[in-house]
Amino acid sequence: MRPFFPSLAELNRKGVMGLNERNLRLVTELNPRHLMRLVNDKSITKNLAIAAGIPTPELVGTIRTSWDMRGLAEMLARPGGVAIKPANGSQGNGILVITDPVAGGYRLANGQRITFSDLRFHVMNIRSGMYSLGGLPDTALLEERVRFAEVFDDISFKGVPDIRIIVLKGVPIVAMLRLPTAVSDGKANLHKGGVGVGLDLTSGVSRLGMQYNGLIDQHPDTGNPLMGLKTPFWEEMLSMAAQAYDVTGLGYLGADIVIDADRGPLLLELNGRPGIAIQVANRFGLRAHIEPVLARDTSGMSVAERIAFGQEVYLSVHAPVSAS
Amino acid sequence: MLLTTHATRPTVTSELHSRILALGLILAGVFVFLHKAITLDYPIFPDETRTVWNLEILIEFAADNRPVRIESFLPAKSEERELVDEQFYSGPFGLRLDQEGENGNRKAIWTYRYPEGPKVLRYRTTLVEETRDTPLPPEMQRENRGGDVLFETSLERQAFLVWMSNLRRQSADKETLVDLMLQELFSTNLSDEVAALVRPLPPPLDRLELARMVLETQGVPARIANGVILDDARRRAETVSWLEYHLNGKDRRYFTLGNPSVFFPLWYGLDELVDADGVTELSTQLSLQPSRLAGGSGAASGLGNDDPLLSLFSFDKLPLTTQLVYQVLLTIPVGILILVFLRQFVGIQTLGTFMPVLIGIAFRETALLTGLLLFSLLIGLGLALRFYLERLKLLLVPRLAVVLVFIVLCMAVITTLTAESGVRIGLSISLFPMVILTMTIERMSIVWEEYDAAEAMKQGLGSLAVASLTYLAMTNSQVEYMMFNFPELLLVIMGLCLLMGRYMGMRLSELRRFRDLSRPE
Repeated sequence: MRPFFPSLAELNRKGVMGLNERNLRLVTELNPRHLMRLVNDKSITKNLAIAAGIPTPELVGTIRTSWDMRGLAEMLARPGGVAIKPANGSQGNGILVITDPVAGGYRLANGQRITFSDLRFHVMNIRSGMYSLGGLPDTALLEERVRFAEVFDDISFKGVPDIRIIVLKGVPIVAMLRLPTAVSDGKANLHKGGVGVGLDLTSGVSRLGMQYNGLIDQHPDTGNPLMGLKTPFWEEMLSMAAQAYDVTGLGYLGADIVIDADRGPLLLELNGRPGIAIQVANRFGLRAHIEPVLARDTSGMSVAERIAFGQEVYLSVHAPVSAS
Repeated sequence: MLLTTHATRPTVTSELHSRILALGLILAGVFVFLHKAITLDYPIFPDETRTVWNLEILIEFAADNRPVRIESFLPAKSEERELVDEQFYSGPFGLRLDQEGENGNRKAIWTYRYPEGPKVLRYRTTLVEETRDTPLPPEMQRENRGGDVLFETSLERQAFLVWMSNLRRQSADKETLVDLMLQELFSTNLSDEVAALVRPLPPPLDRLELARMVLETQGVPARIANGVILDDARRRAETVSWLEYHLNGKDRRYFTLGNPSVFFPLWYGLDELVDADGVTELSTQLSLQPSRLAGGSGAASGLGNDDPLLSLFSFDKLPLTTQLVYQVLLTIPVGILILVFLRQFVGIQTLGTFMPVLIGIAFRETALLTGLLLFSLLIGLGLALRFYLERLKLLLVPRLAVVLVFIVLCMAVITTLTAESGVRIGLSISLFPMVILTMTIERMSIVWEEYDAAEAMKQGLGSLAVASLTYLAMTNSQVEYMMFNFPELLLVIMGLCLLMGRYMGMRLSELRRFRDLSRPE
C-alpha cells in the first residue's frame, strides 16, 4: 500500500531533495542568470554544440519574421520529415513532428494528418510567444526529424524515447531513460505520464522505472520489463553531457540526448533547471550524488576524469546492474 | 522547524547575510511595535475604533406623465469634511449636481420628462460625525459691526426696539445678552413683543430665524443649520434645526431640544430638505447606521504626535479617503506572506505567481461567496469562448483582447441584470479586475490543452483556495487594525519573507510526491 505521507527520516536517509533545495543550492548557486540564455534558446544551444563538435539534429531553418514564413513550405518538403519547435519552449510544449507530406497536408509522428494552414497557425502561435517564458515573441526552429534507433522499441509506445543525464559542475551524476506512453501522447514528458527509468551510470543499463511518481517495473502499455536493457553509445553520451558543461558554463545541467538510427546519439537540448523526478526513477535521493561533487574542485579535470569521478560516486550509492 | 534538512550548506555567506538582515528587520519591527504598545500604550485591539455613519436619503413619489424636478440637499464637501463613497441611485432620471449653491449648500437635481408610476431615488454616503468642537468655516468666524433690522412693519420695528432695550438693560455684555435672548425666545410664555416678532415659519424655524436676525444686528455671524443627530441607528431619522454662531472668538451651537454631542449638518437656511415639482405622494426618508472604521483610531493618533519617530509612521494626517486606501493597501503584504508560505512550505499550485492575491483583493468588492460565484461564472464563460476561438485560429494578442472584451460584456450584462432585481452585486462587479480574469482564462486553457482538464481544474481550484484564504486574512478587522496602526509590522513581514526565501526543506506536497521513495527496501 502507498503511504499517504512518507517517513521524513527515510527520505532524509536517502537524501531526497525538494524543489526549494534544488532552486537554492543548485540553480541559484551554480547557474548564473546571464548564462541561462544559452540553454533557454535552443538555437543558441545548437550553435554552441556544433562549435564544440557535439552532434545535434541538423537545422533545416528558422522562422523569426513573416518574411521567413514564405520559406515554410520549402522547409517542410525536406525528405525524412522535420520537427518544429519553439526556440524558447519548455517541457516539450509546442513541438510538432512531421514525417512526410500526404494529400492536403502532412502526416504527424502520431499518425494524424495536419493541413498546411493549421501548420502555419501553429508556427504563428510559436512566434507570438504562446510557448515561450513570459510570453515573449519567439522563433520557430525546424530540425531534421530524428529516426529513432530500435533499441527501446519494446518499452516505448509510439514516440520519442530520450535520455536525460544530470551534469553537476561538469560531472555526470545520474541518468534516466524517458519513455513515451499512451497517456503521454507519444511524448517522453514525465509530467504528462511518460515513464522514467533509472540508468546505471557506469554501463547505461536500465533499472526500474516510475510513472506519475509511482514505482513500476514494466512498461504500462507494452507490458515488457524495464530492467536490463543496455543503452548503446553510453560512453559517448556521457562525454557529450560532460562537454555541455564546458560550452555553457552552467554548473547544474540536464542534457537531453536521443539516438538516431543512422547518426548515433544527438544532443536534443539542454536544461538549466532539470527536475527532481529523476530521484524516483533512480529510487534514491540526489543528495548522495551531489555532496561529493560539490565538495570537490572539478575545474582542472578533463572530461574523462569527470566521467570517472561521477561513476565512482555513483557506485558508492548504487550497486551496478548487468544487462539481461 | 518540522521540515528542515540536515544537509551541509555551502552558501554560508548569503545564508548568514539574509538571516542577519531578516533578524534585523524583524527586531526593528517588533521593537517599534512593543514601544508603541507598551510604552505609549497604543491599543492593540480595535475596540476604540472611530465610528462612521452611513446616511441614506430615500425619496419616493408617484408621477403621472408630467415633467418632474426633484431637488434635494446633500451634505456639503470641504477640505475639512470628506464624504466617502457617495452613491446615487437615479434610475432613468437625469442627475445634475449643484456643487456651490447659496449658503454653501450642495444640491442634487433629478429631472425626467415623462415619468409614470411610483419612483424611487436614493442617495447614499458615509460620513464622519461632527461635534461641538468642530470648527465653523472661516467666513463664519468674522464678527462685524452689525447692521439695521429689516422688519417690514412699524409694529414689528416698535416691538423689536422695546425687546432689545429690555434685553440690554438686563444683560452685562453681548454674550449674556445673546444667552438671555435665546432663553426668552424658547421659553413657553412669550412676551407680547417677541410674539409679534416671531417669523411666519414652521417651528422651530420661526424662532431660530428671529434669533439669527437679532444676532445679525449685533454683528454676530449666525446661520441656521439643518441636519441629523447621530445617537444611534435609525431607520427613520428626523431632521432637526439648530443655530450656529460665532461670538467672542468661540464657535457656538444652540440646539432647541436636548444637548446632542454628535450630529451632522446637511444643509443651511430655511428651505426643506427635498423640493419636488410635478409629483404626488412625496415621501422623504432619512436613515442612519453607524459602522466601525478599523483604522484611524483616535486614541492612537493623539498619543503619537509628540514622538517624532512615530509621527513618521502615522497615517492620521492623511485625508480620510487616502486613509481608507492605505487601510486596504497595508493588508496586501499579509496576503502575500500567506501566499509565500503556501507555495514554499505547502506547495499549492496556482495559476500565476501573485494572481491569487489579486483575486483575493477583488473579492473585497464582492464579498467571498458572491466573489467565488462570479469568478467561477466568468472563468467558465471565458473558457468556453476561448475554446471556441481556438477554431478560428487567431494570433495570441488579438485572441486575448477578444476574451477581455467578452469579459467586460459579461460583466455589463450581469450588472444590469442584478441592478433590475435590486441586488447590489452590480456596483461591486464593475471593479472586478478583468485583466486578471483574462490572463487566468488564457493560462487555464493552455494548461487544459497541454495537460488535461483535471490539471487545469486543480490549478484553478488551488488559485481560488489561496485567494479565499488571503481574502479572509486581508479583511480580518484585527489584521486591518494592526497593519494600519502598526505599519512597522511590514518590516516583520519582510523579514519573514527573507527567512522563507532560504527555506531548503521539502514542501508538504513533495512529501506526498516522494512517498513511494520512503519505503525501506
